[in-house]
Amino acid sequence: MSEPGGAAGLPGSDHRRGGRVTLVGGGPGAVDLLTLRAWRALQSADVVVADRLGAVGVLDDLPATTDVVHVGKTSGNHPVPQEEINRILVARARAGAHVVRLKGGDPFLFGRGGEELIACREAGIEVEVVPGVTSAVSVPELAGIPVTHRGTAHGVHITSGHGGLDDAAVAVVRENTATLVILMGVSSLSTIAQQALRAGTDPATPVAIVENGSTPAQRVTRTRLDEAAAAAAAEGVAAPAVIVIGGVAADGLLGSVRDGRLAGAGV
Amino acid sequence: MPENPAAPGAPYPLGLRVTGRLVVVVGGGPVAARRARGLADAGARVRVVAPEVCEELAAAGEVEWIRREYRTGDLDEAWLAHTATGDPSVDRQVADDAEALRIFCVTAGDAEAATAWTPAVARVRLDSPGPPDPGDAGGRSGQTGEEIIVSVHAGGDPRRARAIRSEVQAQLESGTLPIRRVRPRPGADRTAQPATSSGPAVRDHGWVALVGGGPGDPGLISVRGRSLVARADVVVADRLGPRSLLDELAPDVQVVEVGKTAGNHPVPQDEINRILVQHAMAGRNVVRLKGGDPYVFGRGGEELAVCRDAGIETEVVPGVTSAVSVPAAVGIPVTHRGVARGFSVLTGHDALQDARRAEAGDAAAGHAVSVTGGSDHTLILLMGVSRLAETAAALTTPERPAGTPVAVVEDGYGPRRRVTVGTLADIAERAAAAGVRPPAVVVVGDVVRLAPAWRDHPAG
Repeated sequence: MSEPGGAAGLPGSDHRRGGRVTLVGGGPGAVDLLTLRAWRALQSADVVVADRLGAVGVLDDLPATTDVVHVGKTSGNHPVPQEEINRILVARARAGAHVVRLKGGDPFLFGRGGEELIACREAGIEVEVVPGVTSAVSVPELAGIPVTHRGTAHGVHITSGHGGLDDAAVAVVRENTATLVILMGVSSLSTIAQQALRAGTDPATPVAIVENGSTPAQRVTRTRLDEAAAAAAAEGVAAPAVIVIGGVAADGLLGSVRDGRLAGAGV
Repeated sequence: MPENPAAPGAPYPLGLRVTGRLVVVVGGGPVAARRARGLADAGARVRVVAPEVCEELAAAGEVEWIRREYRTGDLDEAWLAHTATGDPSVDRQVADDAEALRIFCVTAGDAEAATAWTPAVARVRLDSPGPPDPGDAGGRSGQTGEEIIVSVHAGGDPRRARAIRSEVQAQLESGTLPIRRVRPRPGADRTAQPATSSGPAVRDHGWVALVGGGPGDPGLISVRGRSLVARADVVVADRLGPRSLLDELAPDVQVVEVGKTAGNHPVPQDEINRILVQHAMAGRNVVRLKGGDPYVFGRGGEELAVCRDAGIETEVVPGVTSAVSVPAAVGIPVTHRGVARGFSVLTGHDALQDARRAEAGDAAAGHAVSVTGGSDHTLILLMGVSRLAETAAALTTPERPAGTPVAVVEDGYGPRRRVTVGTLADIAERAAAAGVRPPAVVVVGDVVRLAPAWRDHPAG
C-alpha cells in the first residue's frame, strides 16, 4: 500500500490545524527557476526561513508582512546550527504560522532537508516537501554541460566533495563512463584530483567548474584533472561552485555557440 | 467583454515615453527615491530638488540632485513633475506651479491636488530564448525582449492596487495568463542584434526551448518553463511530465506527441529532431516539453545540438529531476547525513549491462558505478522496472548484500502514487505481486529505511 508519509501532501491541503512547514527547494539561484508550487508557498507564507544560497532574490518580492529569518552563513557570521533551525521551524509552526523553509537546489540533496523533515514530523507538525531544481544537474546544464549524454556519459554520480571523495565516486571518475558531479568541493579540489589520479584516472579527463551558476555572475572554468587545482587557484575559483568531471565537461560538446540563459530573465 | 466607460473624474490611463526628457522630482525621501528610480529606469533625465536625500537616492548615480529647498522656476523645461516632500504646503506650491506651466504633476499623499497618478504596475519581460547578448553584462538584452505592462488603479486605494498588481505580476510571470504573441513583433526583422550576428535569417525563425517539466505535477515546472509553454506555438510532448498543462493550451497551439503510448512506438529521436527544426524554421516558437530534466537521460543535448546547427535560437530550462523528486514523494531522501553521501543515477538497462560485464570478468566493468559501493551508496534506476529481477540479482555484491533495501516508486506525483519496498533478494517478487508498472523509479540503498513505508515492511 502506498504511504506518502506526509512528505508531499497537496498544496494548501490543510489549514485547519494551524501551523505547518513547507520545505521548498529554491533551485540554483535564478528566481524564475523556482517551481510554481514554490512560488505559491512563498507568497502564502507567514515566515520564510532562508539560506544564503538559492533563489534569495525572491525574498525582495515577498509581501511586507512576511517575516524573513536568515539562517545561512554570511561573511563574518556563523550560520545558525542545524538544531536551532529545526527548533525555529517547529516553534514557529506550533505558534500557528505557515513556515516556508527555502533552501538552495533540492531540499533532499545535501540540504539536510531530511533532518528538518524528521524533526518536524517528530514534533507532530504537518510538513510538505516541494522538490526543487537541483544545482547538481541544472548548474552544469545552464553552462552547456549535459550530465548525461548519449555516447559520452551513461549515468551521473552526484556527491558532496566535503573532505574528498568516497570509493564509489573515485570508481566513477576512474571509469569515466558516468559523469561525476561534486557539490561543495571547491576547498577539497586538490585532494579530489589527487585521489582520482592516484586511482589511475586519465590525467586528461575534462573538468569544468561552474561558479554562481544560473546567475549573471556565472563563470565556467574548463581544465583537465591534473591541472584542475592549479587552474582553480589561478582563476580564484570560490564557492559556491559545482565541479563536473568527465567527458561531458569537455568544451564544445554541444557545439561552439555560447551557452545558457541568464538569471532573472523576464522575472 | 465590452469595456466599461470611465467614470467622470477618474484618471485617464496613458503611457508616457520619457526617454531623454526632463522630469523634476521634488523631495528626497523613500517615495521620491522610488519615483526617481522608476523614471530613470524608463530613460528620463531626472532632477531631484531637495535639501537632503535618503541613502537610496544619494546612491542613484544617474540622477541629478539640486541640494536646496524647492523654488518656483525649478519646473521650467520639465515635461512632468513629481512632488513628495512630506510638507503639504510645498507639495501644493509644486502642483500650482505645474498647473501654471501646463505640465502634469503627481502629488504624493494628496489625490485632490494631483493632476496625475502613478498606478501600481505589473511588468514582465518576455525574453527570447537563447544566449544572452554578449554586450549585456546583466543577462538578456532589453532589446531582444519585449515587455507586457499592466497598470492598476484601484479607486484611490494604493494598497489595494498593489495587492492586485502582485497577483497579476505572479500570473504574468508564471505563464498562467495568455501571454502568447498573436501579431508578429513590429519591426522584428529590422532589429539588428549582436546576439544574432550569425545571420539575419535568424530573425525569421522561431525559437526552440527544451523545457524540463518535472515529475508530472503541473506545479513542479519552473516559472521560466511555464512561461515559455504559455508562449509556444508548438509543444512537442512526451508521455511523461506535466501532461495536464497541455489541456490549458489555446486551441490553435499545436501539440505534437512523440512519446511512447500503449500500442504505439515512440517517435525516433531523429524524427523528433527534425520536427523541432522544421517548426522553428517555419517561424514558430517551439517548446520541447520533457519529463524531469532535459539532461538526465532526456537526450536534450542531442536536440539542442541539432537546433543550433540549424541556426535556431535555443534555450534549455532545467527541470526537477524525477531521480530525486520521485523518491522524495514517498519520504526517501537520496542523500542523508550519516546514511548516504552520494548517489548515482543510471538507467536500469545500463546497470544491468555493467553488472553482466563485471560477472563475465571484465575488469573495467567491475569498477562501474552500479557495481561498486555498498548499501550506503544510493543507486537510482530510471526505466528499471521491466527487468527488475535480473537487475536486482546483478546488483547484489559482497559489499551490497541481498538484504539491501529497495523501493520502487510509481507515479510519484500522480493519483497512482505507490511505493513498494523490499530487499534486493525479494523486491522483484514483491513488485510482481503488487502489479508494479512503469514508469517507476527504483531506489537501492540504506536511504530506503528512512521511508515511512519501510516501517511496515517485514524486514524493517
